Amino acid sequence: MRTDVLIIGGGATGAGIARDLALRGVNCLLLEMGDFCHGASGGNHGLLHSGGRYAVKDPTSASECALENAVLRSIAPFCIEDTGGLFVSLPEDDPSFADTFVGSCRKANVPFEELTAKEALRSEPELSSRVTRCLKVNDGSIDPFSLVQANVDDARSAGAKVLNHCAVTGMTVENGTVVEVEVRDRRGGIPASIVPEIVVNAAGAWVDEVAKLAGCRVPMGLDQGSMLVMDGRHCRYVVNRLRSPSNGDIIVPNHTSTILGTTSRPAGAPNDVTVSREDVDLLVRETAAMMPSLRERRTIRTYGGVRPLLGGGGRGASRSFAMLNDERVGNLISVAGGKLTTYRLMAEKVSDRVCEMLGSSSNCRTHKEALGPPANGKGDSISAVRLVRKYGRSASSVDTTDARVVCSCEQVLRSEVTAVLKAGDALTLADVMRRTRAGMGYCQGFDCALSVLEIMMEQNGIDPVPSLNEFLGERERGLEHTSGDQLRQEMLRRHVLNGVYGLGVRE
Amino acid sequence: MSYALVVGNGAAGTFSSWLLAKRGWEVTLVGRGTPSTALSTGCLRSGPNLCRAEISEFLNNEKMPWASGQREGISKIGTSYRCWMSPSHSTWKEGETPKSIAVVGLDGHPSLLPRVVSAMLNGRKIKATPFTIPSQVPSDVPLTSSFRKDEAWEGLAEELQGLSAEAILLPSLVGLQDYHRLDQLEGRCGRNVLEAITPLGSPGQRLADLMLSKAAEAGVTIWDGRKVTALDVENDAAIGATVVGGMDARHISAEAVILATGGPLVDGLVLKERDVSDPLGKFRIVRSKFPLTGGYDSLNGMLINIDGRPMVNVAGAGDCLSSGSREYGSGLTEALENAYRAVRALEGT
Repeated sequence: MRTDVLIIGGGATGAGIARDLALRGVNCLLLEMGDFCHGASGGNHGLLHSGGRYAVKDPTSASECALENAVLRSIAPFCIEDTGGLFVSLPEDDPSFADTFVGSCRKANVPFEELTAKEALRSEPELSSRVTRCLKVNDGSIDPFSLVQANVDDARSAGAKVLNHCAVTGMTVENGTVVEVEVRDRRGGIPASIVPEIVVNAAGAWVDEVAKLAGCRVPMGLDQGSMLVMDGRHCRYVVNRLRSPSNGDIIVPNHTSTILGTTSRPAGAPNDVTVSREDVDLLVRETAAMMPSLRERRTIRTYGGVRPLLGGGGRGASRSFAMLNDERVGNLISVAGGKLTTYRLMAEKVSDRVCEMLGSSSNCRTHKEALGPPANGKGDSISAVRLVRKYGRSASSVDTTDARVVCSCEQVLRSEVTAVLKAGDALTLADVMRRTRAGMGYCQGFDCALSVLEIMMEQNGIDPVPSLNEFLGERERGLEHTSGDQLRQEMLRRHVLNGVYGLGVRE
Repeated sequence: MSYALVVGNGAAGTFSSWLLAKRGWEVTLVGRGTPSTALSTGCLRSGPNLCRAEISEFLNNEKMPWASGQREGISKIGTSYRCWMSPSHSTWKEGETPKSIAVVGLDGHPSLLPRVVSAMLNGRKIKATPFTIPSQVPSDVPLTSSFRKDEAWEGLAEELQGLSAEAILLPSLVGLQDYHRLDQLEGRCGRNVLEAITPLGSPGQRLADLMLSKAAEAGVTIWDGRKVTALDVENDAAIGATVVGGMDARHISAEAVILATGGPLVDGLVLKERDVSDPLGKFRIVRSKFPLTGGYDSLNGMLINIDGRPMVNVAGAGDCLSSGSREYGSGLTEALENAYRAVRALEGT
């Protein structure tokens, strides 16, 4: 099978490139080895950056974030919550940082407004009364799964072929050109060999591994960040610490939960996402300094992501992005670095380069054309708003006359699962969860996994025991770090899964 | 007559009360909340090495006959469940697996998902066919409450009549009072009726009910919904306790005490952060890395006070005792056995 452009990686960047190229009329194929968002695009806060976080140390990134923030709000309002963001400083923080921050935001064109401590407390009552200074910015919360799926759907309707669960396993390079790419296809749909004109390596944390298949290297810093999901929403705004970017600085209200993050440590491999007990303690301690009530909340999950950073990685590394062309392999473009918030801009730059190489003169349209319906709100029911937030344009394909619920934590309808399975991309319980949120709530799949499994077995006959072990094992990640009453409940949960049902959910 | 106080209304507490009452003690049983017995599958995983005869007599109930030996059943998700003693409809004798099973679920109710269970069984080379019968029970309402009336059972029997499998696997539908209906159903369908092994549901609850009623029949005074907040100790011996329930607080005296308060799982031991401690502040605790195995230290059944001396008349039983290698799900047998040990220890005084 031949294609003009083969894109490797189905995170936000890859999906964004597929959409961009398809809208320009370029023939392209995207392959993702796992599910869409299975790397850093899914393992992040879901924070739509205002740019404030990078204003002082990384002004280029800050300006990019500020611009793209506005673009995404206009093209993808359905998956964004306009929460706004607060940057707050505490007495122990360096007071001069706030002044530097204000100056840097002005320079980088990051809009902000200063609130008095009293105003801050009035608008965000759970904030610590110790807050000394507060700046309000345009942060928001974004659903990365929904955003990426919308890019995939849009790319497909513009003619791109986009497949998850297809891994690139090898490349043949002849005379400085990738002439053939080998594929292992878990879902069925394409031949084992692809002949591309151009290969775009947008594999995120795996970018170096993919480059190696063509005999190139992409120097990357892999950096692990941990996050905690707390049950319930505890703030209206995204709350950030007004200090030089550090660990445990950010609180994001997203869907039914509040996400605390992050940490930073070198990662040994792209899938080295393990969250340590120390990370959990640190995140609670640091975020509770800004919002003391977080100490009392229930942690429903921990997760980690690996940031693919330019250069050495770590807090000092730039959050900007770069395109790399190895002179030994002329038709391979690797893209590295960047943020979820700037995915579209990265996709635009890469697509510009691809078009230049193909000799095409068509221009980018992704900043103008909507990715989905306008944000719902006034007059619509909560359940209708929820459906649009998750499925964008596809929300109408869910049969809402069938009121049967499969996941009571996240109020997921049985017909949502059916619609997602019908679309064809979801092969595992986790795939269904990323799309429907069934299993992302309070009980982390303890109640709904079997019901979803039953529907999947009806429709595509998956193997039940390994599926349950894989899914429930992943969902209970980090819960061994809990304490007190929740620890009792986690012990009971394991007792039931391992002791009574005889499942092999990891100890 | 001697006065004994037993704290805890689960397997260990009820069995030790029953044993003491049968031996002529005047027993008061104080319990609160749901014991872990009620969260269990209502089966004994392993065969007891001690006091088998007493356990059989204690669990004997005309409405719910038991089967023992090497038994096998099907968990509510379709995996295999092996045990030593279970209610007669929960398991079959190992090696006598039914050739074919109709797995019956109630439409829209998650209690037993026939397709999942059938696929699991087919994967284990047991011929299983899923079968769904209409139901009006909302997914968050337990089925037991809907199967108390004759009409519900009539309807069920009619639905099941056409099934051709050797055995019929049902979700757990019955409490202790209605267990005999499974026999009636078996008679009407002419096939073996099996109940899926179900934790956190009616099987555990009916076992807890059975045990409590057995203790009451033996003459134990049961104080439900109450808590022992303090134990009075003199010279390494307990002499009485303060029992609180709602607005009522009273003091009772006792010549022997058994603590069967349950482990950290049910709040019998205080779990602060990840460490277990004694809510009464009197006894030595063995801590372990994994909180499930931590608990009271004991010597020959007697608890050890914080000064390191064994108590004269306070024994421990069940999950509240520390246990080095407690296997998942074997707790009930162990609880019964060390309830027996606790009683023996007290009688030795």
